[in-house]
Amino acid sequence: MKKSRAMAAAGVCLLLAACGTTHENAGAGGGHGAPAKCGADGKYTIGMSQANVAEPYRQRMNDDIRSAVAAVPQFAVDFADAAQDNSKQVEQVDTFLTQQIDLLIISPNEATPLTAPVKRAFDKGIPVLVLDRKVDGDAYTSFIGADNTGIGRQAGEYFKNVLLPHGGKIAELRGLAGSTPARERHDGFMQGIDGSKIEIVAAQDADWLRDKGQQQADAILQAHPDIQGIYSQNDPMGEGARIAAQNAGRPDLPITGIDGLPIESGGLKAVEAGRLSATFVYPTGGREAVDTAKRILLDCGQVPKTQTLPTRLVTKENAAATYAELNTGS
Amino acid sequence: MTQAKVAALPGSGRPGGGVLATLFRFQSLFGLVLVFAAAVVYSPSKNGELVFLDSGNLFNVVRSMSEIGILAVGMTLVILIGGIDLSVGSVLGLASVGSAVLLTGNDLGLVPAVLAVLAIGLGFGLLQGIAITSFGIQAFVVTLAGMQIARGLARIWSGGQGVSITYGDRPGQAPVTFSLLGERTFDGLVPIPALIFGVVAALAVVLLRVSAFSRHVYAIGGNEKAARLSGVPVKRVKIVVFGLCGLLAALAGIVHAGQLNFGGPNDGAMYELDAIAAVVIGGTSLMGGRGSVVGTVAGALLVGVLRNILALNNVDSNVQLLVIGLVIVLAAGLQRLRPASVA
Repeated sequence: MKKSRAMAAAGVCLLLAACGTTHENAGAGGGHGAPAKCGADGKYTIGMSQANVAEPYRQRMNDDIRSAVAAVPQFAVDFADAAQDNSKQVEQVDTFLTQQIDLLIISPNEATPLTAPVKRAFDKGIPVLVLDRKVDGDAYTSFIGADNTGIGRQAGEYFKNVLLPHGGKIAELRGLAGSTPARERHDGFMQGIDGSKIEIVAAQDADWLRDKGQQQADAILQAHPDIQGIYSQNDPMGEGARIAAQNAGRPDLPITGIDGLPIESGGLKAVEAGRLSATFVYPTGGREAVDTAKRILLDCGQVPKTQTLPTRLVTKENAAATYAELNTGS
Repeated sequence: MTQAKVAALPGSGRPGGGVLATLFRFQSLFGLVLVFAAAVVYSPSKNGELVFLDSGNLFNVVRSMSEIGILAVGMTLVILIGGIDLSVGSVLGLASVGSAVLLTGNDLGLVPAVLAVLAIGLGFGLLQGIAITSFGIQAFVVTLAGMQIARGLARIWSGGQGVSITYGDRPGQAPVTFSLLGERTFDGLVPIPALIFGVVAALAVVLLRVSAFSRHVYAIGGNEKAARLSGVPVKRVKIVVFGLCGLLAALAGIVHAGQLNFGGPNDGAMYELDAIAAVVIGGTSLMGGRGSVVGTVAGALLVGVLRNILALNNVDSNVQLLVIGLVIVLAAGLQRLRPASVA
């Protein structure tokens, strides 16, 4: 028994040994997000704390960071995945601090719980780039992200001006209940359709997931066979809704998504193929984050506190071009 | 070789059981020592000091395992009677939402709010216990339902969105005392969540050492029918055990909300499985009747140390899952080899 226990421990150690790294930068830090050291001839480790990698959007964000970092010889990046768990993400950020990373990029699962660890990093003199979702207060170096309320409003306006100028009944597929983007994409949409005769007759949570999107749309189409469109808060749920619409004999039902990921299974391809009427590109900010890191660590420069990334409408006309554009240089 | 040793054990069947029995009884404690040693050996170093042994890092390890540890203590009691409780993660979420809403929404004081949340957890657990014993439905099924119900309640109560907690004296702010859970320092060394975990574990150890309740729990887990025939109040004990488990889940939820300054309706998802993992690694048999709280505490810490050292070495998170999965299988495998005479 002792033996097998020891063997297991040895196995674990082997795994560890295979992956061990050390960092060269010690620097206890000057405080308040000013880097302990900077300059083009150093070596820097970036810690990337991701809320979860189950969603393709967040995979792509990590991929964008990975490929942008690969182009900078001075940079190395470590990724941590919090799997939608606030506690876990707090722990992972603290582990990064223990490791004395040189810069933290974080896409928080929720704002409030991650505020304290982000502040701890910032106060220790580690520059913090907050991606996509904010934290409370201003103890971070720069926020980089698009505007969820704005993108929801754009979607609403598209319904009001293009899809249903005379009004009509529609359904909404919402992301995970309790998540900030789900709330903001809804609020924005309501602003967008304000003043029109568009009415949301059904709204269901589908947790950002394709299969749940299909399930919920199945039920909605049963209960409201007369709806004239579906606003989905992301592309995968919209794809699910398309399958439901086809099964319900409504293959032409207009469905819009959000995210517009430039990947094979993403929303841009879905729009190009006509499965979604439109989507709205919600940039991941991955490349912009690495550019910002370069300005801080390599150029010893200042960066703006807030960097709002542009969103844009994608329809069948510009889907292929957008796809090509977003995939150049990666 | 192992087989020979196992076979030799019944011959030495005196109380206490000898070295091998001790090894089995506290397998997770030995495992913890091994993993800790491995963590020291494989710790990255900085300025000539081992990062793993850095007090700040150890602080984080203990703190981060406190919630799972508290859940796992309750889970140990449930598993000892041959049951299972899948609802604890959702009850944690419900309690964290409850703490946030009661502390910020109403003018309830700190103590009444905490007591109310604990009462909700206790009541939820007791109801599950009653459903299990009175209607004869399996614990798995009842608590599976309880898991959905508690999650639904958490989402409804929070209005579908997380509730942030701010501290102060003004209306809508939580008493500053509550933020001690989040400040995480008690004389700068011991995280308060870990302190709570320690107290809970100590109380459970005492409960399972000295009381008649303890004999009843082990008797029910060992052979429920025999326990009933020998006069153990099986129903009552079972209901109390599920009640305690619910109570501890609510306590973990309070700690959770305090640490994060936030009551999240989606929080605690899958925590029930982490708790079960800590119990299994701790050497408690899922068949009931055998196991200890000390083992569970060691099991929880083992997982915490393992995760930490893997993270410090930047092991891919998917590989981390794999390693912890293997440890669970290994622990369960060790149990199967354990001779029946070792309690």
